[in-house]
Amino acid sequence: MAASIAALGRRATDAVAWVGALARFCVRTLAAARALPRAGRRVTTRILLDQVRFTALQAVPLIILLSGILSFLLISQAVRELGRLGATELIGRLMVIAIVRELGPLLTALAVAGRSGTAIAAELATNKALGEVHALEGMGIDPVQYLVLPRLGGAIVSVLGLVVLFDLVAIGAGFLAALANGMSGARYAEIVTDSLSFRDVWLTPAKGLAFGMIIGLVPSFHGLTVGGRPTTVPIASSQAVVASIVAIFLCAGLFVLVLL
Amino acid sequence: MNEHPLRFEDIVLPGWPDAPMALDVTAHQAVAVLGSDASGVDQLAAYALALQAPPAGRVLVHGRDLATLPYREALAARRAVGYLPADDGLLHNLTLSENVALPLRFGSRLTETQIRSRVGVILAQLRLADVGVRRPADATGEQRRRAALARALAFDPDLVLLEHPFDGLTDRDAAELLELARGGESAAGSRRTVFIIGPYLPPSLRARVESRFRLHRGRLESEEG
Repeated sequence: MAASIAALGRRATDAVAWVGALARFCVRTLAAARALPRAGRRVTTRILLDQVRFTALQAVPLIILLSGILSFLLISQAVRELGRLGATELIGRLMVIAIVRELGPLLTALAVAGRSGTAIAAELATNKALGEVHALEGMGIDPVQYLVLPRLGGAIVSVLGLVVLFDLVAIGAGFLAALANGMSGARYAEIVTDSLSFRDVWLTPAKGLAFGMIIGLVPSFHGLTVGGRPTTVPIASSQAVVASIVAIFLCAGLFVLVLL
Repeated sequence: MNEHPLRFEDIVLPGWPDAPMALDVTAHQAVAVLGSDASGVDQLAAYALALQAPPAGRVLVHGRDLATLPYREALAARRAVGYLPADDGLLHNLTLSENVALPLRFGSRLTETQIRSRVGVILAQLRLADVGVRRPADATGEQRRRAALARALAFDPDLVLLEHPFDGLTDRDAAELLELARGGESAAGSRRTVFIIGPYLPPSLRARVESRFRLHRGRLESEEG
C-alpha cells in the first residue's frame, strides 16, 4: 500500500517537474523570439515555410478525408433520427457545437500531433544525437532560435489553417449529407447559419492557436531534452506524441471550463 | 589583449578526482593538449565554453568564467571564440556556405549583403568557393573540416578551440588548416591563439605548435623538447 502511494507520489512529482520544465522552455522560447536578429529572421522564415508545406499542405488530403467522412456520417444519422422527432433544427447546433467548435480543432490537432509532432521530436532529437545542437551552442547560437522558433511558427500557422479547412469541409459534407437524406439545401444552410454565433467564429481559431502552440512546443521540448544518443530518438518521438495528445485534451477541457 | 585568453584553474576531469589540472594558454601561441579518450581531454573545450560543467575547478575565457554568465551573455561570449567541434558539427540540411553564414545570421546585426560578402571572403580563404553550394553529405571529409573551420573563423576570433582537427587529414592538409587557424603571424607570434585538443599531433606540425602537453591520468605532462 505504502509502495503504491509512494509510486503515485513519484509520478505526481514527475508530472509537476515536467510542467515546470516545459513552462521554462516556453519562457526561453519567447525570450529567443525577442532576441532574434533580422538576418536570423530570414532563415527562420524559410524553415517555417518548409514546416508549413510539410505540416499543413501535405496533411490537406488527410484532413479533408477525416472531416468529410465524420461530418457526412454524423449529419446523415442526425437528419434521419432528429427528423423522426421533428427536431431537425438541432442539426445546426450539432454541426456548430460538436463539429465546428469542438471536434474540428480537436481532431485536426490530434492528426497534426500524430503526423508532425513526432517528426519534430525525431528531427530535433536527431540534431542532438548528431552533435548539431552542441555545435550551435558552441558557436554562440541559441538552438531554440534556429530549431524551435520556425517549428513553433509552422505548427501554429498549419493548425490554424487546417482547422479552418476542417470546418469548411465539414459544413460542405454536412450539406451533401442533408441533401442525400431528403433535406433541402436551403433549409440546411438556414439551420447552420442560425446556429452559428460570433463566439463560435473566434473560438475556432483561438483553439487552433492554442493547439498549434502545443504541437510546436511539446515535441520540440522532448526532442531537445532527451539524451543525445541515436537510441533516444524514438523515445523522444513517443514521449512527444503522448504528451502532446494529453496536453491537447487538457487544453480543450480548459476551453470548455473557462467558456462554460 | 589578455595575456592568457584561456585558463584552466584546477579542473578535475571525470575519473581523475585526485588530479586537478591547471593550464594557462598564452596569447599568440598554438597550444596542444593530447590524450586518449580515457584521459578526458575531449571535455576541455566543452568546459571552456561552459557547454558542460567540470566536476570541480573553473575555466576562464578572456578572463571570464562562462559558466557563471546568464545564458545570452554566455552565448555572446562564445561568439568571441572560434570553435571547431570534433565531429565538425555542420548542419546537414544546410550547404557549406549556409553553415558558414549561420553564426553571422544569428549572432550579429550584419545585413544579409554584408553576411554574403563576409562568407564569400572566408570561403575563398579556405578554398571552398567552388564547393560552397554542396551539403556536408556531398563534400569530402577535408572540405567538411575546412567548412567547420571557416564557420569557427566567421567572427574572426582571437582565440580558436580545435577538437580533433587533424583526424583523417593528410599532413599537408593538416598543416594548411593549422596555418589558417593561426591566421598569420604577428610580432608576438600567431595572430590568433590556437588551442588544439586531440589524440595526436602530426610530427610535421610540432614546430608550428609552441606548447605541447599530454594528458595522462588527469595530469598534464609537457612534451617540450
